[in-house]
Amino acid sequence: MSDFIANFQETLAYVGVLMPSLLTGAWYTVKLFVVTLVLSLPLGLPFALGGNSRFWIFRFVCKTYIWIFRGTPLILQLFFFYFFIPISMGIRFSAFTTAAITFVLNYAAYFAEIYRGGINSIDHGQYEAAHSLGLSKSQTMFGIILPQTMKCVLPPVSNEAIVLIKDTALVSVMGVAELMKASTSAVNRDVNPSAYLVAAVIYLIFTFLLTLLSNFLERRFSMYDARGEW
Amino acid sequence: MKQILEMKQIVKDYANCRALDHVDFSMKRGETVAIIGPSGSGKSTLLRCINCLNRITSGSITLNGETFVDTPDGKAAQYIPDKELRRICAQTGMVFQHFNLFPHMTCLKNICYAPIKVKKEDKAAAEQRGRELLELVGLASKADVYTAQLSGGQKQRIAIARGLAMNPEIMLFDEPTSALDPEITGEVLNVIKKLADEHITMVVVTHEMGFAREVADRVIFMDQGKIVEEGAPEQIFTSPESDRLKDFLSSMLK
Ligand SMILES: Nc1ncnc2c1ncn2[C@@H]1O[C@H](COP(=O)(O)OP(=O)(O)O)[C@@H](O)[C@H]1O
Ligand SMILES: [Mg+2]
Repeated sequence: MSDFIANFQETLAYVGVLMPSLLTGAWYTVKLFVVTLVLSLPLGLPFALGGNSRFWIFRFVCKTYIWIFRGTPLILQLFFFYFFIPISMGIRFSAFTTAAITFVLNYAAYFAEIYRGGINSIDHGQYEAAHSLGLSKSQTMFGIILPQTMKCVLPPVSNEAIVLIKDTALVSVMGVAELMKASTSAVNRDVNPSAYLVAAVIYLIFTFLLTLLSNFLERRFSMYDARGEW
Repeated sequence: MKQILEMKQIVKDYANCRALDHVDFSMKRGETVAIIGPSGSGKSTLLRCINCLNRITSGSITLNGETFVDTPDGKAAQYIPDKELRRICAQTGMVFQHFNLFPHMTCLKNICYAPIKVKKEDKAAAEQRGRELLELVGLASKADVYTAQLSGGQKQRIAIARGLAMNPEIMLFDEPTSALDPEITGEVLNVIKKLADEHITMVVVTHEMGFAREVADRVIFMDQGKIVEEGAPEQIFTSPESDRLKDFLSSMLK
């Protein structure tokens, strides 16, 4: 028993030593997550609208974009941009910037499809009512359709956000010292898997916070529903 | 008196059927017209063409002196540019069978949204008018309620108020009570009657024969995309001429 306690204290002390590097890694993870979400959420919208456009050229461009980014592995896209940007444009961005660009483009494609599904699920009567009141196409889209779409895209969007926080681990292959990379380094250096456990706990905290946020938003957006008594 | 609406030789073809077959229809300001007829006879299509929800195949439509679609070559109808068209179509208000209220807005916002956005009315003035309209339809207490919490009859009355808020030249009603339980159609019909008494120009497609007889200045009977018979309610309901109208009326009595 005393052995176990001694062991436990030792482990705690070791985790304390690990924490600074893991937290630095977690900070990178959060940065990549936030940058990706903040940029890809709005970027998905023009691709969603373009995918529904009357003009075939818009539809073609948007659908091809979505097809390519959803149809190939994210890790392949990461490597591709890692080599492609410096070679084709002669600029070398940091690994973090390259990763962020790739993630934004990739997630925007997913969000575009989610938005498009949401837009298409709105009853056609809403368009007819808007038209009969003299609203223009853009007034209808931004004032009537999209606000209603918000509510039904929220669950799939928060689901994607949770996938994203875990996908950030992929950029460890590019040498960005995010949480996954930081814990792997520690495990390899000290031949002790505890760092993975700590990393798992940190990821779980992130996803838990995201779940809280999405539940809060879902409640906010459902305020105009008729609610039953139970 | 000058006609507020004039439709000439309207043809509307869908992919595999002719919904309107050379229909002539016009109305005077302040008139209430009821359209009756069997299902599939083109009643909705006629209303939707007035409101530009559907585009006609050929013919011409003049609303309040402005011709927004014409068929100069006798073949395909030509509409005026979209922006102009939208302005003219906003002069007709439509009330749908299934209400089509905006669920993400309160009742008051449903009513005020288009006047503020389309007519650029001042927000306070629009809301003032919105509250008057809520009063008119008997739902003053529902201003800040979301529409999902209303009964069907209440929803339809809000939809009527929403249409009126744009001060349309003509109000169009497409079977406004068909989606309602029979015992609550009265509350909606009473509101429409009130509008008729105020001489608001209206076209009402309805299966409520008693209502048509009571409020309409003129009744139109449609069948298979044509206006088969029209006249004063007394004449239509008590001495129908065509066999089709006789059949229709006796089928409605059953
Ligand atoms: N969007 C559409 N596409 C094809 N056919 C249609 C469409 N809307 C209506 N129709 C057809 O046009 C005819 C008239 O329909 P409608 O105007 O809805 O009749 P009513 O309102 O009198 O019941 C019907 O035969 C119907 O099947
Ligand atoms: Mg109909």
